[in-house]
Amino acid sequence: MATIELKNVHAEVAEGDEQILHGVDLEVESGEIHALMGPNGSGKSTTSKVIAGHPAYQVTEGEILLHLEADDFDGIEEIPEDARTWDLLDLEPNERAALGVFLAFQYPAEIEGVTMTNFLRTALNAKIEERDELLFGEDEEDEAGEDEAGYDTSPMEGNVDDGEVGVAEFQQLLKEKMELLDMDEKFAQRYLNAGFSGGEKKQNEVLQAAILEPTIAVLDEIDSGLDIDRLQDVADGINALRDEQGTGVLQITHYQRILDYVEPDTVHIMLDGEIVKEGGPELAAELEDKGYDWVREQVYNAA
Amino acid sequence: MSGATRFHAGIDVETVERIAEERNEPKWLRAKRLEALEALPDLDYPDVIQTPGRTWTNLDDLDFEALVEPFDQTEEKDWVADDQATVVPFHEALNDADLEELVREHFGSVVDPEENRLTALSTALFTTGTVIYVPSNVDAEDVKIRTTMNGQSLFNYTLVVTEQNSSVTILERQDTGADADESEERYYSGIVEVDAGENSYVQYGSLQDFDQSTYNYTLKRGVTDTYSTVNWIEGNLGSRLTKTEVSTLLEGDSSETKIVGAFFGHDDQHFDLDSKVWHRAEHTTADLVTRGVIDDVARSVYEGVQDVGEGAWDTNSYQRENTLMLSDESEADASPKLIINNHDTEASHSATVGQIDQEDLFYMEGRAIPEGTAKNMLVEGFFVPVLEEVEVDELREDLEERIHERLH
Repeated sequence: MATIELKNVHAEVAEGDEQILHGVDLEVESGEIHALMGPNGSGKSTTSKVIAGHPAYQVTEGEILLHLEADDFDGIEEIPEDARTWDLLDLEPNERAALGVFLAFQYPAEIEGVTMTNFLRTALNAKIEERDELLFGEDEEDEAGEDEAGYDTSPMEGNVDDGEVGVAEFQQLLKEKMELLDMDEKFAQRYLNAGFSGGEKKQNEVLQAAILEPTIAVLDEIDSGLDIDRLQDVADGINALRDEQGTGVLQITHYQRILDYVEPDTVHIMLDGEIVKEGGPELAAELEDKGYDWVREQVYNAA
Repeated sequence: MSGATRFHAGIDVETVERIAEERNEPKWLRAKRLEALEALPDLDYPDVIQTPGRTWTNLDDLDFEALVEPFDQTEEKDWVADDQATVVPFHEALNDADLEELVREHFGSVVDPEENRLTALSTALFTTGTVIYVPSNVDAEDVKIRTTMNGQSLFNYTLVVTEQNSSVTILERQDTGADADESEERYYSGIVEVDAGENSYVQYGSLQDFDQSTYNYTLKRGVTDTYSTVNWIEGNLGSRLTKTEVSTLLEGDSSETKIVGAFFGHDDQHFDLDSKVWHRAEHTTADLVTRGVIDDVARSVYEGVQDVGEGAWDTNSYQRENTLMLSDESEADASPKLIINNHDTEASHSATVGQIDQEDLFYMEGRAIPEGTAKNMLVEGFFVPVLEEVEVDELREDLEERIHERLH
């Protein structure tokens, strides 16, 4: 059972002093689905970016903690006691990812010349290696000098030296996950998001989550720009993450529509850089009816 | 050119006579050498690329002649030939009556020896070279030339002639021998002339990988006949300073050319690279694509010229250049130029110079990939669109491997 805990998070744009988050408190546990809703500019995307460690934002106050339990990682019998609580703000983005924090991007990068297969297998092996390093410290025999230059990559085939997960094993895994998401096999040999449609990119984000098996997945507007068929595939993928991998999901969305397919346990509403209202799934429906002005009135009149 | 420039002792009539004599060269060649030598003092250095407020490469300051040792032109050369094509060392060709006539007919016909000071110098002093002749209807694959430079200077000349309906794929590699003195500066000069006969196809790939004490000047130019194609692959990894021109004169109707470039400079390497095409016939097509990466304090400047002549009806001409800078101290510029004198032209040109996209990097780090690995993957991926244009597997693999080595 893993938990991500945002405590009084204040954040601003790193270059400049525009404050965007004014004390966000939020907690998501394994196996739960949370929806984070709010109007444009309320700080939802910024919240996702500070969780993942985007260098354009600086956290000026508060903490983002990841709590793990002993058996949270498949294949690791017992996480050492002193490696069960992490302040994510002390970690590099790739280290956060290695501990299972996954961000599905609102606008995924298009990366030319790097195939999906190469990228994802490199990512999976990097994740396993980095995670072991974080949990158990550096294994000096293996790791000497391997930090920056350890992955022997080629643009087409990926790591030449087999990492933890070899080429054949990975291809099998990728094939299974793609079938699950109803994705065409040819995507595996295409360059990462290059020339993908908006919907294909979103589907690809869910595929990446399925491969990397995150403990906590933050999905930033994964439902925007999807037709109904693809929305259903994406929703199936999100539900599978929760049901099969026990992932805790924080789903950022504008629209109530996806919540019909992925039912949230909790809905949080964000206004002006703070969570101002929380409730069950019915809150999303109510919001759809009454709009953000209703929330604004309630919050500011009460205050 | 300033009259004060003093030639290195030995670049004179006596030296040229001796080079020609020792090789038992025919009179016409000796005469060409001497003409070039005579013209040399009055010729300018090749045009260098200038961008507003800056001349990137100061060839005047380099005193190329001082690097030249006419009698220290030691090299090793390996040829791998296709048995249907003729691939012979330059001076061997002169001993064969038919080939001698071929050389005589074409020598200096594509690149004028007196085009500039450095071509004249090369013509006066070259001691090595290759003649490739592909008869009609012959498909020659995998002609390979490897030149390993061991001495202080080397002047190299290559002639490619293809007859009607023939094709040839040529891979040229240049590097520095293991025994060469690293502390010594070196000068390499290469001229390549390609005369592509009617409906013939030439792909000429080159991988320049000299050590970083070498000053490198090369001029490669092809001329096309009707329906012929000349494609260039130009890989630049080595040298202290490189000044190159790769160009095609589209003289035949419906002829085509593609100039694909890849370069990767680091330390204090300096690349000044020209790609040029002249559309001088109807229905011609040109595609110029170059990608380069520079790191440390390296500098690169690229100029691409698409020149569409008055009579070049129905021209298609495209050009793209992208440079990626990996360090704050590296410098790059690119200038694509389009000169159109016939309105019946479809053309495009673009150039970008930039650094690694921070959002791309963050995206990859967000998938647990460490920053260093992510950068390397982005750089290797950046080269893929040009590598995909390389038909010769060996050249593509060599380039990939050398790029990989430079990153790690």
